[in-house]
Amino acid sequence: MIGEVFTWLNDPGHWKDTRFDTGIATQLTAHVRFCAFALLVALIIALPLGLVIGHTGRGRWLIAAANTLRALPTVGVLVLLTVVIAPHFYGRTDTGYLIPTEIVLIVLAIPSILSNTFAGVENVDPAVRDAAEGMGMTGKQVLLKVELPCSLPLIFSGFRSATLQVIATATIASYLPLGGLGRFIYDGLAQQDFPQMIGGGVLVAGLALVADLLLYLVQRYTVSRGLTGRFSKKRIPDARLASVTQAEVAAV
Amino acid sequence: MTALATSSSSSPLHFWGYFMDHRSTDLSWLWSHTWLSVVPVVIGLLVALPLGWLARRYRFVYPPLISLTGLIYTIPSIALFVLIPPLFGLKSLDPKQVPIALTLYSIALLVRVVADGLASVSEDTVQAATAIGFKPLGRFFRVELPIAVPVITAGLRVALVANVSIVAVSGTIGMSNLGQLFTLGFQNSTNGPYYPPIVLGIVLCVLLALVLDRIVIILNILLTPWRKAVRS
Amino acid sequence: MNRKTLMLAAAAAALSLGLSACGADSSKTSTGASTGSGSAGTTTIASKLIMGGPPEFKTRPDGLPGLKKNYGVVFGKYTVTDTGGPVTVSSLKNGQIDAADLFTTDPSIQANGFVILEDPKSNFAAQNIVPIISKAKATDGVKKILNGIQAKLTTDGLGQLLTKVQNQKQDPDAVAKQWLSDNGLSGTGSSASGVKLTVGSANFPENVILADIYAEALKAQGASIKTTLNIGSREKYYAGLKDGSIDLFAEYTGTILQFIDKNATATSPDDVYAALVKALPSNLIALDKAQAQDSDAIVVTKATADKYSLKTIADLAKTG
Repeated sequence: MIGEVFTWLNDPGHWKDTRFDTGIATQLTAHVRFCAFALLVALIIALPLGLVIGHTGRGRWLIAAANTLRALPTVGVLVLLTVVIAPHFYGRTDTGYLIPTEIVLIVLAIPSILSNTFAGVENVDPAVRDAAEGMGMTGKQVLLKVELPCSLPLIFSGFRSATLQVIATATIASYLPLGGLGRFIYDGLAQQDFPQMIGGGVLVAGLALVADLLLYLVQRYTVSRGLTGRFSKKRIPDARLASVTQAEVAAV
Repeated sequence: MTALATSSSSSPLHFWGYFMDHRSTDLSWLWSHTWLSVVPVVIGLLVALPLGWLARRYRFVYPPLISLTGLIYTIPSIALFVLIPPLFGLKSLDPKQVPIALTLYSIALLVRVVADGLASVSEDTVQAATAIGFKPLGRFFRVELPIAVPVITAGLRVALVANVSIVAVSGTIGMSNLGQLFTLGFQNSTNGPYYPPIVLGIVLCVLLALVLDRIVIILNILLTPWRKAVRS
Repeated sequence: MNRKTLMLAAAAAALSLGLSACGADSSKTSTGASTGSGSAGTTTIASKLIMGGPPEFKTRPDGLPGLKKNYGVVFGKYTVTDTGGPVTVSSLKNGQIDAADLFTTDPSIQANGFVILEDPKSNFAAQNIVPIISKAKATDGVKKILNGIQAKLTTDGLGQLLTKVQNQKQDPDAVAKQWLSDNGLSGTGSSASGVKLTVGSANFPENVILADIYAEALKAQGASIKTTLNIGSREKYYAGLKDGSIDLFAEYTGTILQFIDKNATATSPDDVYAALVKALPSNLIALDKAQAQDSDAIVVTKATADKYSLKTIADLAKTG
């Protein structure tokens, strides 16, 4: 079984596009593109929002609201949006299916990034904040030069878990007529081609691992060494949880 | 049967009428959805406790254990569902494949949570407990674990809410749960959208997730009476 | 202030760039594929068209390989949509694909003025409705009830049932009960009492209605029934039938035969049925086939049919 999967993955013919089959290389690119776009948009929305809410302390309800987004069933939302949006697109385009998929992935990515950014800013040592203000920094400077760098470890952790979720979930794009690595899983299932199906699963897991490793490296070189030194001894709990605990405190 | 006239409405707001028309089926799906979301987390917690303790006790276990469990989390759920029957020697449509997959996901998430929760217990507290005369096992159950409860329950909340969504995915391969409502609505949307089952499915999933979440919060408050005492 | 607006503009630009990259690329691949095949030398009509259907149509013997073998039809590109469902219909209607694999009973073919291309060489084998049941559960009482239903199922009747569910959004279970009473099959009794059955269905409305009809009739005769409806692919539910997770399933003679025996060649209703009876594993049996058929068909829009004057699948292989 495992051998067959490796044979499938190793066959150069499976990597290239043919007339009727889209190869691994193209689907991998498509998968990365779906995910990168969704993560970028989620980051543009959630990062500033989280920073501002954490800094001003206003709009905490938004964090709680974003956490309820986690409760949305992904498949259900995808189906609903597709039924609403897809019939309005005519001609040679898959935009009608692309939009629902991207919305679902963005909605999936926002809660982790938003609540972790918020928790990161919120958890900055008040003494550090006071010191910054004491030095004469304006509110904006405190946020961008002190609070943002200090909350980077939590922000990264949120972004990394969002990335993992988005990469694994982007397979549902192939529930619709879109590409991506999910194509191999769904097609393999329908064609009784198990090496293909499992190979697809392996590729998704591999992509997730590589993405996480890259983000880890970025994190390593962007987070101040003063912070990492401190955190490595204390080993912070999983940031996803820290953020939920935050929301919980806000909710109770 | 009597409600044929009303059940033919396809407005999104008709989901409640749809629910009333198909109460028995919908409730049985809700019930199995609940069961499928909760049981794996409970089993996952029972497995994660000793593993998390190991990771806490022997530092060198932590990195490989966390990477391994993190790896499980990256497998797409649809692939895991299909992979499990051959791996576990089950019948291909055995309803057990879903709880097994979800248990794996839950373990993956909770091992780390338990380890980190236990790590959040300060060294001073552990030493104090030892000094009072707690044996390691008693100290674990009566001091370290209770202090880790807030972090662990936070993990339980994430796991439960995630499970509700993943169970719905299994509905698309025929498992009886709320996910069926999505397939049903989608397949009947060929000539014009058929919203009621889709909207009903989303509403019930969200409600279920929120209720389960609330229960864990209450559990957390009940299990950590000292936090209340400190606060007031 | 100035810097802020600048950053916002940059973000917006990046965003629109990203979205257009996603969109543009996808449209490029589809047109690229169709022109590419055109320049390959033989510009048949088919080579200008994009075909859409389920994933397995690419590999199924009566799918793309069969079209090539029987008619010399090779499409420019194949897009995976779904199994005769909403995605296929809407993609064909909106022009994402030009030809589709749909089912002949589908009311949306008429609703959208789609044209079914004739299949003179019987690329698609006969597809009579047939209940596949596990031998252990097929008591004489059960057989009699199900065969009674089979005798009343007609192709037109199926289309009407589907219209009720798919277009009028009626409940499949209610439609099934109504059909049983309309056909004088809703009598209660005890001829199936003591039998415990799990009825399964695939995830398209017609199959769900059929499963409901079987389930309701058996229930009325005292059987204890569980249903597992909307199972995704045949791979899943056929395995379920074989290993006993499901006991009863409404199948289509041609498709199930080809699924079991990749080299099956029979095409007429009787030949297919006879071959199926032989091919089934020992723990499964086929009850009577109904007169009702629901076959795969290559379907195009009215505009496409007119543009290339298409009547049969063979016309797709002409140069144009």
